[in-house]
Amino acid sequence: MPNDHVKLPVSTSNDREHQSDIMPNNHERQPANMPNNHERQPANMPNNHEHQPAGATTVPLTINVNGKDHSLLIEPNLTLKQVLQFHLGLIGAKEMCDRGACGSCTVIMDGKPTLSCNILAAECGGKTVETVEGIAAIPKWKPLIDAYCKWDAMQCGYCTPGFLVAAKALLDKNPTPTEREINEALSGNICICGTYPRHSQAILEAVRKMAEEGDI
Amino acid sequence: MAGGGDLLGALKDDIFPEYPKTIVNIKTIPGLDDIKLEDGMIKIGALATLADIARNPIIAADAAALSEAAGKASSPTLRETTTIGGNLCQMPRCWYYRKLNNRFNCVRKGGEKCFALAGDNRYHSIFGGMAFKTAPNVNKTCIAVNQSELAPVLVVMGAKFVTTEREIEADAFFSVGVMSATVLGPGEILTEIKIPVGEYSRRCRYKRFAFRKSIDFPIINLAISANSDGNYRIYLGGVAPVPYRAANAEALLKGCEMSPELAKEAGDAAAAGARPFEANAYKVQLVKTLVKRELLAM
Repeated sequence: MPNDHVKLPVSTSNDREHQSDIMPNNHERQPANMPNNHERQPANMPNNHEHQPAGATTVPLTINVNGKDHSLLIEPNLTLKQVLQFHLGLIGAKEMCDRGACGSCTVIMDGKPTLSCNILAAECGGKTVETVEGIAAIPKWKPLIDAYCKWDAMQCGYCTPGFLVAAKALLDKNPTPTEREINEALSGNICICGTYPRHSQAILEAVRKMAEEGDI
Repeated sequence: MAGGGDLLGALKDDIFPEYPKTIVNIKTIPGLDDIKLEDGMIKIGALATLADIARNPIIAADAAALSEAAGKASSPTLRETTTIGGNLCQMPRCWYYRKLNNRFNCVRKGGEKCFALAGDNRYHSIFGGMAFKTAPNVNKTCIAVNQSELAPVLVVMGAKFVTTEREIEADAFFSVGVMSATVLGPGEILTEIKIPVGEYSRRCRYKRFAFRKSIDFPIINLAISANSDGNYRIYLGGVAPVPYRAANAEALLKGCEMSPELAKEAGDAAAAGARPFEANAYKVQLVKTLVKRELLAM
């Protein structure tokens, strides 16, 4: 009996129905708007056209990400977050709510903190985008990252890149923020682990350290 | 699509019975995000972002309540991309309307019934629904509220909304229709908001009540203004399908000296005629208290 292992203890007349209950077709189970498996592959897969909807065409996009110019052919339905991940392999900006409500996907676009899940990449032609990877590569911001580590301003860490980018955007504009200003600037980011007080502690310490080193 | 704060989420959630085939990017129209003072009016292009409005010195000087309202909408990051036009034209946040995959094909989407009437209506209207035509000779009622952060302030300031086809008084702009929260017709877009600078814009006060300070829509927001003759304008958001004018309270206050007793009476008058549903009677008390407090703080 090759099929023994999939049968329920209580047998009914309709085995076929049972089988489909126990072993659902995984593919059908996925909600319609889940990205398909191709999209989930590690990011630096080259331009994978299979996840575009029928009838969609690609559009050209020239974008400067972390100081490097990129000329891409992208699907018009992709958000900036998805292009950063699937086309450029930058997985720092995280997709959590995907509705612009949590701040995990924050990037800096033309100097302003922007939610990359809430903007279509096709609109970003000619823009300059800075992601958490770009910030981490600049020695000037090492004290900020060190302070985040020292104060342990994270638990699961999923929201941390968004917080860090928002903090950097704040420090660009206001190099000596008060705790209140920090809290206000980070109020668009949600951390479900509740590490909020540590973020302001870490940023305040980074500000002190950077002032000592003469970076700001 | 401009800032995309409303539409992009709606498309991702698949809440519409039909998808638009094409989405037009209007963000790149030059000059539509200007903020300037001209002929005694503050003119704000519809593409001006909420962050631009919140930190603009012209608005801060002559219409401070608008800066305050814009600075409290959604979250600091989202304010950098979302626009004043989108804030005014946004669709309601009713959870039946917004449910994933068009689970509830409600009257605002051309469907048969309003699910909030018999369902969970804790965030819905306390001044009844608003009837509109879903088809010729078919009248339906929606009880979702207008939760625009800026609408009450602009109406109180007597703003005028310029579209591609006409100029509309702010309080006549908001409406209820199938897939629409304004009187804009097909192909018509909001281009400019004109605020007459004067006593109503300078003395305006704005207050919102929400569960969270950030990333939250107001449960109730209100704007109050008065001129030196003692004429008051009071508008409430979040209590009716369009910004609600507390006409009873305005009449009561006309020409009177403010006192704690009068403020309390005005608060009660503002909530007069409220017909809350089973889950939202708390909003009546909120209206009374907020109006009273803001009048005393003026």
